[in-house]
Amino acid sequence: MSSSDAHATNPHLAHHFDSIEKQDYAARLAMWLFLATEILLFAGLFLGYSVYRHFYHETFHELSRTLSITLGTINTVVLITSSLTVALAFHAVKVGKNNQAVGLLVFTVLCAIAFLVIKGFEYRHKFEEGMLPGQFYSYKEVTGPGANLYFTIYFLSTGLHAFHVIVGMSVLIWLTLRIKRGAYSPNHYVAVELGALYWHLVDLVWIFLFPLLYLI
Amino acid sequence: MADQGPRTRASEPEHASHGHGVARYFIVWALLLVFTVTTVLTGRMDLGAMNLPLALTIASIKATLVVLFFMHMTEAAGTNRIIFVVSLLFALVMIFGVFGDLWTRSPMTLPNGVPSTLGPEL
Repeated sequence: MSSSDAHATNPHLAHHFDSIEKQDYAARLAMWLFLATEILLFAGLFLGYSVYRHFYHETFHELSRTLSITLGTINTVVLITSSLTVALAFHAVKVGKNNQAVGLLVFTVLCAIAFLVIKGFEYRHKFEEGMLPGQFYSYKEVTGPGANLYFTIYFLSTGLHAFHVIVGMSVLIWLTLRIKRGAYSPNHYVAVELGALYWHLVDLVWIFLFPLLYLI
Repeated sequence: MADQGPRTRASEPEHASHGHGVARYFIVWALLLVFTVTTVLTGRMDLGAMNLPLALTIASIKATLVVLFFMHMTEAAGTNRIIFVVSLLFALVMIFGVFGDLWTRSPMTLPNGVPSTLGPEL
């Protein structure tokens, strides 16, 4: 099949790509490059955490005990489950079960909202207790150098992660609406695949944030 | 259109491997939950020096499961695998580069309030 045939028969094929395989290949390549930059972005925050944990080991240990392990664990389970439902939704689009995919994505978005609400309760508690970065720190139980730094890192890393949850959630809502309109099919699903990849990255970052902030 | 026949047939085995059932997603999910419970239990046991390595090991196992199966790294093109692995390598270079500095500093160069037992004596 010549490329002009391919363009005539496939409305999804952009004119600057020779074939749909090459177009999908380029889309996946770009997504993984973007995910690599995301990994390095969060790696910078993990490095900041590691350095100050190295300096203020005892303080960081004490303050990790003030976080709610119950809420942290619930949020971990929520995100892992949402990762499962996104993977299932992608599978459903690939086999042409669009209604099932919509249901699974709606459930995923609800998980994302649940995560943000729980995180909001945790933030409110910290504001009330004065567990805040820098000069705003006024928590009496744990004092000394490094205490406010723990919460600088806590709010930066969980805040950036929560921002990623909001972005990922928006992408998933957009995909849900597109699937409802019948935009994707077993021959054309790469956008769903990339949206799912982004959501898995959000899960991936939390898998490391959770033990580092809550458990050790 | 003549070459369409062979191509369709050639892509069939590939499609079969992509078309694995959803069971594997549920297995991965169950494993992730088991590892989450494990890390919560061991994290609160206060295992001392073992705490950090154990938590990071469990987190790495969970991340590997997510990347390999939820993110389909097992089926990804070679280029994409290289990009992912190289990004991890650079993250490690950054972390170990900085710690190479921290571990070899003299106490006087450390921030205020850091216990002076850290770092080699002058």
